Amino acid sequence: MTSNILEARNVTKTFGGLVAVNDVTLTVEKGRIVSVIGPNGAGKTTFFNILTGIYKPDKGTVIFDGTSIAGNRPDIIAALGMRRTFQNIRLFDNMTVLENVLVGMHTHLHAPFWQIVTRAAGVRREEARARQKARELLAYVGLDEKRDDLAKNLPYGDQRRLEIARALAGQPKLILLDEPTAGMNPHETDAATELIRRLRDELGLTVVLIEHDMRLVMAISERITVLDYGTKIAEGDAAAIRSNPRVIEAYLGKGAAGAAA
Amino acid sequence: MARVASLQNIRMTPTAQSARLWEQLRTYLGRGSGAYAFFGLYAAICTWQLFTNPRTSLRTDIFFVLFLLLVFMVYRSATPLWFRGGLTAVLLVVVMPIFGTLNPFYIDVATQAGIFVALALGLNVVVGFAGLLDLGYVAFFAVGAYLWAILSTPQITQINPAWSPVPPIMFYPFVVLGLVIGAVFGILLGLPVLRLRGDYLAIVTLGFGEVIRVLANNLDRPINITNGSQGIREIERPPLILTNFIRETLGWNLSDSQLYQQFFYFVVLLIVIFTVVVVSRLKNSRIGRAWEAIREDETAAVAQGIPRVRMKLMAFAVGASFAGAMGVVFASKQLFINPPTFDLLRSINILAMVILGGMGSIPGSILGAVIVTLLDLQILPRMATVLRDAQRAGVPIPAAFDPTQYQRLLFGILLVLMMIFRPQGILPDERRSEELHAGDEPPSEEEAPPAARAAAESS
Amino acid sequence: MAAEAKVTTSPQTGQRSLAEVLRTVFGPVGQMLLFVVGSAIALSLVVTLLALVQIGARPDLLVRTWTILPQVIIDGLVRGFLFATIALGYTMVYGVLEFINFAHGEIFMVGGVVGAAVALALAAAGFLAAVPGLLFVLLIIVLGMLVSGTLAVTVERVAYRPLRGAPRLVPLISAIGVSLVLQDVTRLIMTSTPLGFNARFNTPDFGSPIRLFEMNLGDRPVPVIISPKALIFVSAAVVMLVVLNYLVNATRLGKAIRATAQDRATASLMGINVNQIISLTFLIGGALGGAAGALFGMYVGTVNPYMGFIPGLKAFTAAVLGGIGNITGAMVGGIVLGFLEAFVASYLSLFTGGAFSGAAYADIAAFSILILILIFRPSGLLGEATTQKV
Ligand SMILES: Nc1ncnc2c1ncn2[C@@H]1O[C@H](COP(=O)(O)OP(=O)(O)O)[C@@H](O)[C@H]1O
Ligand SMILES: [Mg+2]
Repeated sequence: MTSNILEARNVTKTFGGLVAVNDVTLTVEKGRIVSVIGPNGAGKTTFFNILTGIYKPDKGTVIFDGTSIAGNRPDIIAALGMRRTFQNIRLFDNMTVLENVLVGMHTHLHAPFWQIVTRAAGVRREEARARQKARELLAYVGLDEKRDDLAKNLPYGDQRRLEIARALAGQPKLILLDEPTAGMNPHETDAATELIRRLRDELGLTVVLIEHDMRLVMAISERITVLDYGTKIAEGDAAAIRSNPRVIEAYLGKGAAGAAA
Repeated sequence: MARVASLQNIRMTPTAQSARLWEQLRTYLGRGSGAYAFFGLYAAICTWQLFTNPRTSLRTDIFFVLFLLLVFMVYRSATPLWFRGGLTAVLLVVVMPIFGTLNPFYIDVATQAGIFVALALGLNVVVGFAGLLDLGYVAFFAVGAYLWAILSTPQITQINPAWSPVPPIMFYPFVVLGLVIGAVFGILLGLPVLRLRGDYLAIVTLGFGEVIRVLANNLDRPINITNGSQGIREIERPPLILTNFIRETLGWNLSDSQLYQQFFYFVVLLIVIFTVVVVSRLKNSRIGRAWEAIREDETAAVAQGIPRVRMKLMAFAVGASFAGAMGVVFASKQLFINPPTFDLLRSINILAMVILGGMGSIPGSILGAVIVTLLDLQILPRMATVLRDAQRAGVPIPAAFDPTQYQRLLFGILLVLMMIFRPQGILPDERRSEELHAGDEPPSEEEAPPAARAAAESS
Repeated sequence: MAAEAKVTTSPQTGQRSLAEVLRTVFGPVGQMLLFVVGSAIALSLVVTLLALVQIGARPDLLVRTWTILPQVIIDGLVRGFLFATIALGYTMVYGVLEFINFAHGEIFMVGGVVGAAVALALAAAGFLAAVPGLLFVLLIIVLGMLVSGTLAVTVERVAYRPLRGAPRLVPLISAIGVSLVLQDVTRLIMTSTPLGFNARFNTPDFGSPIRLFEMNLGDRPVPVIISPKALIFVSAAVVMLVVLNYLVNATRLGKAIRATAQDRATASLMGINVNQIISLTFLIGGALGGAAGALFGMYVGTVNPYMGFIPGLKAFTAAVLGGIGNITGAMVGGIVLGFLEAFVASYLSLFTGGAFSGAAYADIAAFSILILILIFRPSGLLGEATTQKV
């Protein structure tokens, strides 16, 4: 029994002729903040999609919290306690902020069909408790005031925070954040960084993060994995990544590596 | 009353000032003593008019429509529950049936409207809540109708001479059975098609609806199951109840056919109430939210742990079950069914009700169903007589143009215009913010983190 | 797009050699003919096999099977080309807009009604017998194309364009509405004119049935005949398909259509007027549908305002079968579906001893195929499987 919450080994995914993720291995220890970085099109999102079951890997295994999940249905993986946010925000636009969070709680609500139809006391209690919890979560990310707004009417930064709240509603063990600060201004980015840190420090979550903002990545990740053209080209802590010539080359192009070194 | 806002606004398109006036008037009439007086007076005038002038005429048509509008407005008003419930009950349980004894036409319209309210609510679960465009919905209605038609009549002996029809009293369990069979068919259809993308699903369900109709039309050979295009006649009605009470104790001398009208009116009313209750409870539950989430974004929904296929199947089953049950009632009420009763146009008809009222909106579906049924049974025929008169008076209208024969045209225009100008319908689904505000205080900022932590840790 | 251009264009002149043009035009048609032959042979083998299985109980079955076989194949050919020409309208619009033009069946129907109106007008003027057959065919095709094409473009402008960018189901519902409106407006027009609801009409004499050859089965020879109308139908359809392939695969306009289909935003950045291309797509698809309607009306000799619905649905099935959005796929899908239907329609009642009426169950067969294809191979026979991007 290791303390790894996630072990993805030799994961490969191709689209037609394109190898989007090529033999990538990533292990994540419980309670860590880990970043996956790489240029656009490197296969980071695709890798997340494989972990969460949206795509089936062509090859490789994924073990989450002791269970093999590669190729499982996404809802089953989500129910096991892996939740995510999306790079291109995917909220339920015409539902309220509160309802978005309630949907995130789906796997923890168990009221059976017949009790809902007869509105049994247990159902009402469960529903009230869920609403209470949802509002606590909204307060946690700072959105309780806006709980009755439609998700689509929120400003951009709030939408990203709502996605995080919705993911938290599933009481995950592992949360995957796909570019959580994309499109934010520096001030919002700082707030988001703080929030991510709190997820781990206060809620004890394990966080895997795709991010382009190097300041954020370097500040909060304990480990960093670098993908380029679908392949893992480096792995290590911030200092090691910063000085890795292959990484510099991937980001700045050939020649830059020599100049930097 | 306050919530009827959107409906009124379209009609009014008023200037800013008159809009404010209108707003005030509506608030005033929507709650408090103003509302009691308004609805009370309105109800009294309508009732008096309907009772004193029950003859079928344009004038009675108008008062009948006003009457239905009243019921709807009371139901949607912001008055206290006792008033809302009480007045709605008096109107539907006392006034309407008595009026029905005076003129059988209108209570039949009301019964038909009720049947379609239940169908529209059922389709609304599928189309409105879950976002699955089902163009073959009438197939489930057909299944329920044929179930009762075949098993309650000598048609059953055509299948196997050793079998005999079930006794008419079995009508009641068969309504429940219709519910179940509808759900089963919903699942049977759903299983293969629910993984399909939205527009493909629409076409496939349309195909399914056609298949059911073609089967009904052709399954008179090699074994005569459905009696083919001839349809099934003399479908059984359940034995009348309370006849002695009504005729002797109350002294109302009603014929059997009048009593049956009353009977089916009440059966339909009960099912409608049942449907409304079930559908609104589902909507405000984890299941309803899961449906809406799937409608909004399927990928994001499954990422929240929502089992997509199971939820969609449930939507199909729930929607189909109302149609199945209503099918049994419909067959029994109509006494005769045949395959064209269940053609594509009927499915589109029901879809038009849902779209007109507002996809996903329960009051919208009710309103849509009533409007479309009235159009079908009352307004178009009335227009036809008016046009006939105009024609005779020399207005150049093509002789072939009979509005009752041009429902496709009407519903076609309706669908196109709704999609272009008001895709959300006349009574769009509203978020339930008032309920959410009521009662509970927002948690204070300090205590939130520990509580949220507890929430996250309890997994 | 760029890569393709490099392959098919000679670098110096930008002109294509004749051979290249012929290949791009006749390649798809050749593929379609391959499927014609393939379907015919495969299905003939299937029915032969089925007959042999039952031969113990019914000794005459094999002869009866073969006796009607040529006629069934001709029937399959007609149905196949009918579905193929209509399916093109669905598939082209789908390729460009990702939208099922539900009203396309009615565009087809209108073509048929135009043909009937021309025939009746000529008959009323006393010319009908005097008009040469081929001229008549040309006349109804051209007029059918004109009216249906214009109608399709108008419908797009009025009922679909305002909804571009709306959720998928919104334009689909609008299209259903349009379909109903077209049915009833046509009905109103037909019943207010001498056409009537069921317009039966005569056509010029196309000569007597052509005797292809004779088969010697059992005790007497069975002639294999094809009616001139069927021959005209199939030849006209083939010509139209060749022209369409030329238009789409070998002209600048076609390139613009294909570019728009691939990526509307990029196409518009490249200076393509996307709205114009969309209108053009509706024009071409509508014209093809109209021509098919006119030909079909002439073939069966009667039209009515509701006749477009079922063929429309089946043509859509054909488009999906071939891989929706794929022009060659639509033709192939049409052919395969046409043959399948013809075989079910003719052989079902033969093999079940008359217990099931083939015509009714042919519809069910078509829808079953649609459902099966969508479930097991949603990309169709010729489409490529794609993963939706998340
Ligand atoms: N569903 C798909 N079909 C085809 N190609 C895809 C699909 N999803 C991703 N890709 C391709 O895979 C590569 C990796 O994409 P992605 O994982 O989104 O990169 P990143 O998130 O690192 O920017 C890209 O070239 C992208 O175009
Ligand atoms: Mg990405």
